[in-house]
Amino acid sequence: MSDRKSPSEDAAEQSSSPQNSNNVATGISRRGFLKGAGITAAGTALLEGVQVFSREAVAATHSDVKELGPGAVPVTLLVNGKEHTIQIEPRTTLADALRVHMGLIGTKVICDRGSCSGCTVLLDKTPVNSCMTLAMDARGHHVTTIEGLPQNGELHPLQTAFVKHDAMQCGFCTPGMVMSCAALLEKNPKPTEDDVRHATAGNLCRCGTYPRIFAATLEAAGTSTRNA
Amino acid sequence: MNQFILADCTTESGALSQLHDGAVVKAGGVDLLDLMKSGIATPTKLVNIRNISGMRGIHETAQGLNIGALTTLAEIEEDPAVKAHYAILSDACGHAATPQIRNMATVGGNLLQQNRCWYFRSDDFACLKKGKDMCFAFDGLNQYHAIFDNTTCPSVAPSSAAVALLGLNASVELTSAKGKRTVAIKDFYVHPDVNPMTRTVIAPDELLTAVVIPKPASGTRSAYQKYGEKRSYDWATADAGVVLEMDGNICRKAAIVMGAASPVVMRSPKAEAMLAGKPITEETARAAGKAAMEGAQPLSMNGYKVQLFPVAIYRTILLAAGQMGRDPSAVG
Amino acid sequence: MATTKITPAEEALLGAVADAATPPPGTETVMMPVGIPGYTLHQEARQIPTTQPPVLPINKDLQYIGKSPKRWDAHAKVSGSARYTYDIQLPGMLYAKFVNAAVPHAHIVSIDTSAAEKLPGVKGVYVIQHLLGGAVLRDAALKSKTYPTVRYAGQPIAAVAATQPHIAEEAAKLVKVQYDAKPFVVDLEKARQPNAPQVFPGPADQAGTAGGGGGPHGVTQTGNVHGPAIHKVGDAEQGFKDADVVVESKYSTQVQTHSALETHGVVADWKPDLLTVWASTQGTASVREELAAFFHLPKSQVRVITEFMGGGFGAKFGAGNPGVVAAQLSRQTGTPVWLMLDRKQEHLSVGNRPSSDQTLKIGAKKDGTLTAVQLVSFGSAGCGTGAGCAGPATNLYKWAALHTEENDVFINAGPASAMRAPGHPQGAFALEQTIDELATKLNMDPIDLRDKIDENPVRRVERQIIRESALWKSRNPKPNADQGHIKRGVGLSQSVWYRHINMNSAAEVRVHRDGSVEVLSAVQDIGTGIKTVLAQVLAEQFGVPPEKVSVKIGDTNYPIGPNSGGSVTTASLTPAVRDAAWQASQKFLASVAPALGTAPDDLVLTGGEVHSKSNKFQPITFRRAAAKMDTDEVSAQSKRIPDYNKGHYDTYGGVDVAEVEVDTETGLIHVKRIFAVHDCGRPMNPSQVINQINGGLIQGISYALYENRLLDPNFGYMVNPNLEQYKIAGSRDIPELHVQLVESYIGQSSTDASGIGEAAGVMSAAAAIGNAFHNATGVRIRTTPMTPPVVLKALSKAPQRSETA
Repeated sequence: MSDRKSPSEDAAEQSSSPQNSNNVATGISRRGFLKGAGITAAGTALLEGVQVFSREAVAATHSDVKELGPGAVPVTLLVNGKEHTIQIEPRTTLADALRVHMGLIGTKVICDRGSCSGCTVLLDKTPVNSCMTLAMDARGHHVTTIEGLPQNGELHPLQTAFVKHDAMQCGFCTPGMVMSCAALLEKNPKPTEDDVRHATAGNLCRCGTYPRIFAATLEAAGTSTRNA
Repeated sequence: MNQFILADCTTESGALSQLHDGAVVKAGGVDLLDLMKSGIATPTKLVNIRNISGMRGIHETAQGLNIGALTTLAEIEEDPAVKAHYAILSDACGHAATPQIRNMATVGGNLLQQNRCWYFRSDDFACLKKGKDMCFAFDGLNQYHAIFDNTTCPSVAPSSAAVALLGLNASVELTSAKGKRTVAIKDFYVHPDVNPMTRTVIAPDELLTAVVIPKPASGTRSAYQKYGEKRSYDWATADAGVVLEMDGNICRKAAIVMGAASPVVMRSPKAEAMLAGKPITEETARAAGKAAMEGAQPLSMNGYKVQLFPVAIYRTILLAAGQMGRDPSAVG
Repeated sequence: MATTKITPAEEALLGAVADAATPPPGTETVMMPVGIPGYTLHQEARQIPTTQPPVLPINKDLQYIGKSPKRWDAHAKVSGSARYTYDIQLPGMLYAKFVNAAVPHAHIVSIDTSAAEKLPGVKGVYVIQHLLGGAVLRDAALKSKTYPTVRYAGQPIAAVAATQPHIAEEAAKLVKVQYDAKPFVVDLEKARQPNAPQVFPGPADQAGTAGGGGGPHGVTQTGNVHGPAIHKVGDAEQGFKDADVVVESKYSTQVQTHSALETHGVVADWKPDLLTVWASTQGTASVREELAAFFHLPKSQVRVITEFMGGGFGAKFGAGNPGVVAAQLSRQTGTPVWLMLDRKQEHLSVGNRPSSDQTLKIGAKKDGTLTAVQLVSFGSAGCGTGAGCAGPATNLYKWAALHTEENDVFINAGPASAMRAPGHPQGAFALEQTIDELATKLNMDPIDLRDKIDENPVRRVERQIIRESALWKSRNPKPNADQGHIKRGVGLSQSVWYRHINMNSAAEVRVHRDGSVEVLSAVQDIGTGIKTVLAQVLAEQFGVPPEKVSVKIGDTNYPIGPNSGGSVTTASLTPAVRDAAWQASQKFLASVAPALGTAPDDLVLTGGEVHSKSNKFQPITFRRAAAKMDTDEVSAQSKRIPDYNKGHYDTYGGVDVAEVEVDTETGLIHVKRIFAVHDCGRPMNPSQVINQINGGLIQGISYALYENRLLDPNFGYMVNPNLEQYKIAGSRDIPELHVQLVESYIGQSSTDASGIGEAAGVMSAAAAIGNAFHNATGVRIRTTPMTPPVVLKALSKAPQRSETA
């Protein structure tokens, strides 16, 4: 790109315009050179950045469509076997619904982008990232969080094995790790260490407790017989 | 993340009735939420198709496979029919992202996801893909960028499923209120030279409703592998999808596909030609890998990919042919 | 950091003092176990205050200390009930969000907060007047008279507080900042050029924190180059002339961010007579200190709470900008304020491990004796200092002459802060590979050479264990021996860290009539397990199982605790806790003696039972005896007393062997196994120690192979401020780890505990991998992270299969 300005010129230009509240590095003109070219549905918002609500744009007439939001609406979620009715906006993630609206703080949001799996919960029996799931999409599913894993006041055998093997240090990744491994055991009661590594491939632990997590999960596999 | 209206749809026709005025389709929501959280996408209305039951599931037909667009990557990975006859697709879906994301992400969303260029994904940069006039990768950090077709926007194709589907000559079914059309994967993606802002030919009023895969010819063997920097959860620096139609030890016909080499998933006819009519051996596999790099034009920092792709290709050819195991150093 | 050595003469003198025949008043001479069981264990005399508890025997003779009871708070952590700062929710609490600089270098012309203030739900906006962190101009006259100068993209400028997080997020975007942008530089090489844009208009220095870091003050500054800080011992020039062999090479390492999973942040609740702050911190004391100073509050009116804490690794000391800003917003609004950074801010603005470009030259005699060590380093700590990395070169080996020059190079990037063993992973990466190069040139075995030049007696034992290990024995001394594209190699590296004691370490121990015991200290558990260790100390004293001990920590309402940096916590605090426990037990015996019909000095509390020395009664359990206390509670407070043998220079260390497989076609390095032998004095809880060493090694592997803060060269923005493209080792990247502890008693305190955090392998992993890579391929890799492009480039320069050096 030969027409690139020096960084300082560019910075000066963008900063001289306080209207440019995004303060992003930009090119020269605001209009795309391919104006009028076809755009995808998914691409529309990217390009236009529509910020203002237009009621006419959202008028729903179809009987198979129900509009929610943008403001808060009442929603009932089944979490750890208990129904919770909360008032949330459609943009509320499942993680926020659990943490902020239900006080289930065991679920941790760490990267907020699905890269660390600290926010893992089970949707029915499937581990998902609650930070990348809209709370609305958890309707009609059984949500299980770390708080819902113990039964009758007793830790899940996997949790007991985590304690025994000291499979934690700071503990911030622990709920996500436990949920990933619990889901694995549910699906594959006799995993190999390689299976455990694959099941936790999306879970980050910064303290480096992985070897203990592998050991704990394998031990729990030898003792875990119940259905969580 | 900005506020939006969620239009909850239970049927295809309901969803189609919502596709106007900038409404954005949300299925698994993984890529869309990522873009919205970063402020890259700011839709005011999301058309939630996640719960349309008719759009989910894998069906074997006389012609091959029909996969509902809402089928998750994990469901495809684990499907016995896919595993048995479409190993490349099982591999590709099974090695995408993280286990959690594979449980959420749909095949339709995977095919439609935006490219992974860090300039595009950053709210600090307004680039060509966001309708501006500049690409920051050419003079910037481009170690993960394209080595082919990289003159306009060198961000690489993100979908591993697309690599598999291109190798399998698959198509997508696009549905609008007017009816359905089928577009081959090879024609589905729009090259950035044509329009860097547009990823695919899908029209604003269309939904991607299914993936259609023809039945493989007899003797077909296939595989997919991707290489990154880490072995757990990483985007591909080089990947390869291989479909071999074998007559005994002789390769009748081959498809060699690369994902992280170019902005749009690409086949390499030159590599394929090196295998056609020949036995699969390490020598022919390596020759194919080498041929695949003809015409590569690396940028300032991604020359190593020209070394990596041939390795990814030859090892995946041998994996497909059953002559080598899955590479332990590939991303798992 | 300690970089001076105690001479043998001084050591002898100190020993003589300890052995003096007549102890001064108030002290007594006791015999303490010193050395390594099975190797060098012996008794040494120490003069200690008569108020000290009895000498603790070695671990094998103890019931709870030196064992591995379960982590005290494990149940809370596995069940999700552990409450971190991030989890604190107070009634009416507001959520705050920073406004961050959108350019890497600028004067701020104006800040318009009016639109943000008008957004419904916004309750407060605060514009930062005094920025914390980074280097500070020596000449105050050069400082910006209005807003703090922007020196990196992402620098906090202001913050908004609103009723909901996404309102705060929207409001932050509405704050209009007008910049007068200035030229910037984000590349170390470019920043060193004479005509480079200047990050600071004059000399600037950064202080260290309780975790170390920071750079030298008052050194020369030329442009962006802050330094050199020169350290010379002996005549290096002469040393090189005297050498039979000289090796010289260049190494470079990248910037690593701490990336603790819980980001920096606080919840602040400003009330008229008490500021309460929940903080994700490594030092409740350091947070209180900074807040009291910043707001001119008496310390007694600042309370800091850290119940659980999601990782720090050196970056979390003091209140920092989040602490000060949240407190300010809470004061403004009269409401508690939650302010936790998002992941991007965490990468950009709260610290990192600086980069390094090092030129290391070592001269040696034929027998291995080092005649001279010379290190010249340039590194960038962003707009801070602290990139020095001469620790290993200075302290690992014996040399005749030393010459180090450390330079910090300012760039327009977030300031560094202490990160686990500051400077040492960088320094060891160069030093330990150079020592191996030297061994090759001298035709010596790498362990033999280290035996020759490393005087540390503990590492000598550790090397012996390594030498006899199957992994080391499997090493082919001839590099590049494998045919084919997968090449296996084995290499080692050593660690060194220094015993520091934080005297601000105190605790209270209480005994209740119901037989329960509790310990209270403001110390925080950052994941290392100090809660468990404190419970073990009380358990040993009272014979109560550790899980029955109440551990109340992480609150400045309790006696002051040490800031957890530099591997000080266990070494500093456990003696104070044992002293308090001992004193409380004596008070307890005095309290029950009347009811037991005897005198206090007739009573002994041991093994969980109260015994009468004169057999006045059958031993009774501690619990039954407690019921006879004459008051509901007895308690004792103690603070740390100086180390028993204070002048002695103690270090901790380890030796790590790594096995790698290098795929020469893909450039991927697979670390298959690591065998690590480490010492940390008396291991108080071996399982937790090993857990930390596993973690140190894993962080070291992650640093060696993956992590890299990437700044766009043209615009100065970090392109990977996430946990996806900022790559941290995951489950499938972890080798088989085997850790062996070497107990090493040093006779320094009533627990004789030491620390492990820094010497836990984080500094040696990259070097061991580098040496293993050479053993595998015959090629030296001198750059981290060792990604495929770096590896393929290194291999492409290699002569085919013949190089041995």
